Amino acid sequence: VSLEGWARISNDAFNVALFGYLAAMVGYFHYLAFRREAVWRVASTVTWLALGAQIVSIVARGLAAERVPWGNLYEYSSMLAALTVASYLVIVEWRAKIRTLGGFVLAFAVLTMAVAVSFLYVGPAPLVPALNSYWIRIHVVAAIVGSALLALGGGVLTSLYLVADRRERAGKAVPPIAGGAAGLDAGLDAGEVTDGDDAPPDLVPDEGGPDPVPRRRGVLPAAATLDRLAYRTIAFAFPIWTFAVIAGAIWAQEAWGRYWGWDPKETWSFIVWVVYAGYLHARSTAGWRGRRAAVIALIGFAALMVNYYVVNTVVDGLHSYSGV
Amino acid sequence: MVWRSLRSMRTALILLLVIALASVAGSFIPQRPNSPLRIAQDFREHPLRSRIFDALGLFDVFGSWWFTLLYVLLLVSLGACLFPRTRALIRNARARPQPARELDGFRHFAEIPAGEPPAAAARRAQDLLRRRWFRVNRPEGGAEVAADKGLAREAGSLLFHWSFFLVMIGILVGKGTGFSGFAVITEGQCWVEAEANYDGNLRVGRYFGGDHTGARICVDDFEDTYRQSGIPMDFVTRATLTSGDGGDPTTQEIRLNDPGSVDGLNLYQFAFGWAPELRVRLGERVIAEGPVQFERDPVPEGVSELAVPWHGALRLPTLQPQRALQFSLWPSAAAFVTFRQTLRPGVMMTEAESPILIYEAFEGDLASELRPSFSELDTRGLRAAGDGVIGEGQTISLEDGRTLEGAALRRALEGDELTMSFTGIRQYTVLQVTRDRGLWIMLAAAILILVGLLPALYTSRRRVWVRAEPASGTGGSVLKVGGFALQRTTQFSEEFDRLVRDLRRGTPDRGVDPDRADERVGAP
Repeated sequence: VSLEGWARISNDAFNVALFGYLAAMVGYFHYLAFRREAVWRVASTVTWLALGAQIVSIVARGLAAERVPWGNLYEYSSMLAALTVASYLVIVEWRAKIRTLGGFVLAFAVLTMAVAVSFLYVGPAPLVPALNSYWIRIHVVAAIVGSALLALGGGVLTSLYLVADRRERAGKAVPPIAGGAAGLDAGLDAGEVTDGDDAPPDLVPDEGGPDPVPRRRGVLPAAATLDRLAYRTIAFAFPIWTFAVIAGAIWAQEAWGRYWGWDPKETWSFIVWVVYAGYLHARSTAGWRGRRAAVIALIGFAALMVNYYVVNTVVDGLHSYSGV
Repeated sequence: MVWRSLRSMRTALILLLVIALASVAGSFIPQRPNSPLRIAQDFREHPLRSRIFDALGLFDVFGSWWFTLLYVLLLVSLGACLFPRTRALIRNARARPQPARELDGFRHFAEIPAGEPPAAAARRAQDLLRRRWFRVNRPEGGAEVAADKGLAREAGSLLFHWSFFLVMIGILVGKGTGFSGFAVITEGQCWVEAEANYDGNLRVGRYFGGDHTGARICVDDFEDTYRQSGIPMDFVTRATLTSGDGGDPTTQEIRLNDPGSVDGLNLYQFAFGWAPELRVRLGERVIAEGPVQFERDPVPEGVSELAVPWHGALRLPTLQPQRALQFSLWPSAAAFVTFRQTLRPGVMMTEAESPILIYEAFEGDLASELRPSFSELDTRGLRAAGDGVIGEGQTISLEDGRTLEGAALRRALEGDELTMSFTGIRQYTVLQVTRDRGLWIMLAAAILILVGLLPALYTSRRRVWVRAEPASGTGGSVLKVGGFALQRTTQFSEEFDRLVRDLRRGTPDRGVDPDRADERVGAP
């Protein structure tokens, strides 16, 4: 296959993945509303297949450009979307066995990819000398993995936690709609995070509990479940992000002769890091747990997006070469 | 009171968020260390706003007194928090786990029948817990066992936080005792590392003792290569480096992402440019000779920087009256021709192909230049004295601009006509020269931060107690097991179940007993 051939394969596979995610997103939202097992099964399968297509797209892109496939913002976006979907499939759907959140995650992935293909697309090209270093494998990979996990944990899961928490608070005020508080307790006590919503939506007895408590016919998993899942994902992401910043500093020392120069990219990576450090501390501080900590996580996600889109395209800095 | 509030997590949290907020300002407002030209422009366009910003330190957020105050406060708050925690950890690590009174009140509790007498059963529990890396205490070889695990969590957290003080030390040592400057060296020339040779492009740390190295950098060759599309492929300076005490010279290739080093200095490829070789003669007497470093013209929007010409200046202060020349260099004549036709730079000049110089001559008192720069004349106090064009290999008369060849050239040299020859073109390279002795401290701090972070986030503190009580009538005993975890409670409940299962089995770790594998002792 020629270089142009690989480039074509990459673009086609990207489109297949994009439309696959789009279709699966519709399926997941349908499942969220109507709980038809078969719809979920199809949506999940389509997501896996689309992820496969996207991996093909990324590998082909690397072959077309004859280098690592994360050398510019378009490629970075594709990797980000793929890793967000992959971490969703592993963390949320496979390990925590929660099925209702796929639509939200895929919405993020579809948006990221749509922006990438319409505004950020550039053809495969060799790396400029500034990027041509083995640190691009270490620093950039860590940054993308960290970003994907923060997007999942600090963005999607935390937003959904805030929504679920709001509903449960509203529910608590009206006693007849039972289960708000019970769901919370179940979430805190359950063994693994399996207490989500994998059971049929109507009355579910609490697993092994002394007396079956009718569970809220909730659209989303219990707020406590979402909160813990978001926390775990962020706690997983934080050391990776820390490592990405450190690796970036080492690369900066090697390329520019200083490990830190408050370049806009460095500054915003620092902001993201500081905000999530704040989040982790907030969770162990009385009066900041729960909603306040979640708001901090959302601010961190916003900072991540600014770091990603605004800094690369609008602000003038040393990282601008990686741009469009 | 102040002390206590400084120690509280809330204060630290708020300080962290305020630092984040200040950094936002620092990333959107142009910063003096990164973009001094933008700030000069801001001062011209919005003088009032700029003065206010400047007074508030917003043009140098990260060097401003209030940013320093913020992170010093954060560090003080951190230290105030870490000292008692560290003391407590040390106390904790020295002390042995203490027995508890009532075990059945704990979140996890189980009772297990055992065949042996209490002391032997307790001993078995002790061995089992030891094998699982618990710290175990069985006072006086009795029937009580107290165990705990997970000091690594607190130790990791403390290591992580203390490491930031190491970061501060690394910055102070490195930046304080170090320096950073730029060496501008033309191909074929040498440069010695000494204060005067930086031409003012040197920043030294507060505690720098003036111990420049005297290292010698001779640039043999600079090469910039591009792809067809004008995308740069490689910038490389080949240099011979000799240390200040006169050791053996080494030849190094310095490129982006691949610095050179000599005498504890790091050399980074920073920039480069053209340096036409010029010779000015009055008759046969040489007035000035050698390569003159040029700078790239400002790059208009939408034009490749490879397409714009370069400018440079040559001052001749020994002439009477004094003279000076302002040049514009087109490294490729073809690009100049295209420019004259389209009035827009378009052809990329990736290498020199019959370069041409366009010059304007001036005369007058060179001391009247108010803002001299090496590549640009300040011509306000000077008189124009002709202009012209000269190609590589040519000689011209600076009196009337005509090209001199053959007999005319001979006549000019024999008389006392002012002539200029464009004998060749070289490149110069700009190397950033840096000494930072804190790098190893920074690297150590970075590693410690990561090493501390992992146990701080992923391990948990948990405690287990076992008490063996004699069983009535059998000669055996009953093991009462209680425990709890402070973090990661779900994982602990599984761990506790496994522990109970293995205690029940009597001979732990000899393979799984399928009948007992699913037996669970739930929380009360």
